[in-house]
Amino acid sequence: MSKNSAILNKINVIARAPFQVYYEGEADSLSATNRIGKFDILPGHADFFSVLHPGDIVIQNGDAEPTIFPIVNGIITVRDNEVRLFVNM
Amino acid sequence: MRRANVIEKDTASIGTLKDLTNVFESLASTQVAKVKNRATLSKQFFQLLWERYTAIRVDPKKRITNREETGNGRKVLVLISAEAGLSGDLDQRMIESMQQEYARGSTDIIVLGSHGASQLTQRGIPYIRFFQVPESDSYINVNPVIEAVLPYSSIAVYYEEYLSLGQQEVRRIDLVTHMQDLSKNAEEGVITADDTIFEPSLDEIADQMEITMMSLALSQTILESGLAQAASRFNAMTVAEDRASELLGEYRLEYHRAKRSESDRRLREVLVGIKKKRREAAAAGNK
Repeated sequence: MSKNSAILNKINVIARAPFQVYYEGEADSLSATNRIGKFDILPGHADFFSVLHPGDIVIQNGDAEPTIFPIVNGIITVRDNEVRLFVNM
Repeated sequence: MRRANVIEKDTASIGTLKDLTNVFESLASTQVAKVKNRATLSKQFFQLLWERYTAIRVDPKKRITNREETGNGRKVLVLISAEAGLSGDLDQRMIESMQQEYARGSTDIIVLGSHGASQLTQRGIPYIRFFQVPESDSYINVNPVIEAVLPYSSIAVYYEEYLSLGQQEVRRIDLVTHMQDLSKNAEEGVITADDTIFEPSLDEIADQMEITMMSLALSQTILESGLAQAASRFNAMTVAEDRASELLGEYRLEYHRAKRSESDRRLREVLVGIKKKRREAAAAGNK
């Protein structure tokens, strides 16, 4: 578990396309799809790089309505509790 | 002197032209603001991606960033021009600049934009591929262009750079060097397969990142060119509008002169008629 997640219990998410910002801020979880299938990123996730497959990205933060947006391609990187999503490139 | 009703018709046409140039000027101005915003977002995106890319350990000999060893030994010049006219003389200046580097035997040309393609044809310069300038509000698909340039050892891109609303310049960049330049301030600790999960593999992810970054670098030159063309169009429309205003002033003056001249002529005719009648009346009185 990374040092940040132990304190915050949140992940920091930056989700962008080249000309669009989908989400920037804290979140409880993020769901996406890669070659193996659907997966979730939760606070404290191991450092992780993956090529994403088409599908919906779901970002949940607290009790608010989840942020959902479709992607056609993308790369996800998780490092030190920070998730960067580069999508629709 | 032309007749007043003819001048009136011409004045109305120039008035319409002035209104049209005014609309085009506003459109170009809006376009400049919109593209500037997209260019900023794209640069931020590139920076974030590059930070992650530079942190992963990959074999540099296999990479796109080492084209000299892996390419086909040829150079490709990518020309990013306007899709249509109305962009001043920028495309002509760009082609003249490119001609200095062009060597028929060892260089190929790929052109984006119909205006550049027609200019090349007029000058008898062959190009091997033509693409329309990809444009969309949310996405620029440069993948076909990237596929076309990937086999080459050296990739030079000619485009038009926006310096200000009044100034646009022709620029030349080496695409790979440009990718590295865009990331000058990006620094991040090393990421290895020992402490990070890569899915499907480190090399495949690095490949995907490189293609994305190259696409982004090319997209940025397309955006920059679009910005410069919009600014050039704005300037051309401003000049046209000023000229139309001048013409309108000249036509109005000419119209009033013609009206005055016509009324003077009518008055003269009436006076001549009265004099004639008086002479006739006087002659009849004498008899």
